[in-house]
Amino acid sequence: MIEENRLDPKIVEEFLKFGKNMIEAPKLVPAPDEINMEVTEHEVAYTEDKVRLLHYKPRTSNQTKIPLIIAYALINRYHILDIHPKKSWVRNLLDQGIDVYMVDWGTPTNMDKYLDLDDYVNIYLDNCIDFVREEADVENVSLQGYCTGGTIATAYCALHPEKVKNFVATAPVIDGWKDTTVISNLARNIDVDKMVDTIGNMPPEFMYYCFSILKPFEQGIEKYVNFFRNIENKNFVDNFLRIEKWLADTPPIPGALFKQWIKDIYQDNLLIQNKMYVGGKHISLKNLKMPIFTQVAVGDHLVSPECSMPLHYAVASDDKTLRVYPTGHVGMIASSFSQKKVVPELGQWLIKHS
Amino acid sequence: MSSKPQALTSVGPMRNFAANAKKIATELIDSNDDLVEFNKRLTGYYQQLADTWANAQKKVNAKMPEIPNDQEQFDAYKRIWIDIFDNDFTELFDSHKFGENYGKLVSSELELSKHWEQMTNVMLQSANLPSKKEIDEVYKELHTLKKRVSKLESQNKNFKPRTNKDD
Repeated sequence: MIEENRLDPKIVEEFLKFGKNMIEAPKLVPAPDEINMEVTEHEVAYTEDKVRLLHYKPRTSNQTKIPLIIAYALINRYHILDIHPKKSWVRNLLDQGIDVYMVDWGTPTNMDKYLDLDDYVNIYLDNCIDFVREEADVENVSLQGYCTGGTIATAYCALHPEKVKNFVATAPVIDGWKDTTVISNLARNIDVDKMVDTIGNMPPEFMYYCFSILKPFEQGIEKYVNFFRNIENKNFVDNFLRIEKWLADTPPIPGALFKQWIKDIYQDNLLIQNKMYVGGKHISLKNLKMPIFTQVAVGDHLVSPECSMPLHYAVASDDKTLRVYPTGHVGMIASSFSQKKVVPELGQWLIKHS
Repeated sequence: MSSKPQALTSVGPMRNFAANAKKIATELIDSNDDLVEFNKRLTGYYQQLADTWANAQKKVNAKMPEIPNDQEQFDAYKRIWIDIFDNDFTELFDSHKFGENYGKLVSSELELSKHWEQMTNVMLQSANLPSKKEIDEVYKELHTLKKRVSKLESQNKNFKPRTNKDD
């Protein structure tokens, strides 16, 4: 007796639709160049070398007296914090009446290979903050650091505490030895001296390799299957392409800065032990006495919560808040959840402390 | 009188090219050892991936009988496949052994890059162009100068206000 092998018609129908979507994708999907990543209106307030300080136009009649300066990370670009009108971290804060500035570190070239943490902390960020202090006529500002920008901002707060009224650390890279991510495993095992001496700036391709081994099958297969399944959903496609464009646009990291970051944070773990120096100046987390708001994500596979949370316990501030959110590294800053929960909580905290 | 190109290398200013060509040959020979090391490391790297793939596939196969034979079967299979593969590969990438091997692979790749850089430097020198080392010295000097200027300027910061602020 021959057993009949039946295929469910719904599976066949889905396969056919999937194939049709793949064929029609070029007609339905805009090219990356057609996607405008500058969502919220802003102007360039200050420039120095390749660094730009962006100032977002107010969206409320009244704004807080104390401006917020966001120090973005060294990987990818600041656009993720203003990725889509409905998922924009910046726009949400503006709508809450907060005056927002953003540091765009720019795209370093070979000529910038000797830029180090001292340049980023004590020159670029310091000059941006001094510019805002003068322009807004305030003694000090609120400073937010995201991811590696959190490390830079932490070092800044330790060295220039008088200029920071409030500090917001969003998924900061602090305790490299406690980081349980794949990134930290690679970082601990590379000969960073040899790497930087040989190739100079850290090329984007190396970063793309690191990203590719984070949840490789979820990110490499499932994500694209979902994309083709939803190709007729304009909102889904728009969101997807914005994130993809952001992911594919990471500048090189200056060699000297990369070397110090890998050695001091991941290999020797100096920051959390109060043994780190930037530009010859000692970084002590005990100098962080200003109000501090730390945000971490439970599902963060780039900077694990165990790596970020020690900041909360190491600082000397009496006014400190730790928020742990059930989301991921990007979900914490650019998602519907972020809009409903994470940014409103931050906005309320900033307003209370401004 | 010879028109052969090598005659040019034996006398006059092009003589240094002959000496440099020898350096390139030496670099090529030296790079062979590093190429062998790199290939060994690369094979080890892919071996780890292949072993993890095979083990993960075995786990997926073992789960297959548990998947109900209905219209959700394909999605259920895909979900199990992705979960098991992501878990196993993340475990691999998280392991000390992978990190150590990856570090050695990158290191051997950098050794090859160094040979390539040496050969390029010889060519640049022959063409009277600055080597990477010389350019690096210029970059370093520029960086030091810019830093000194920035620190001097910071002693007397005087920011120009924006003309169109809050138009």
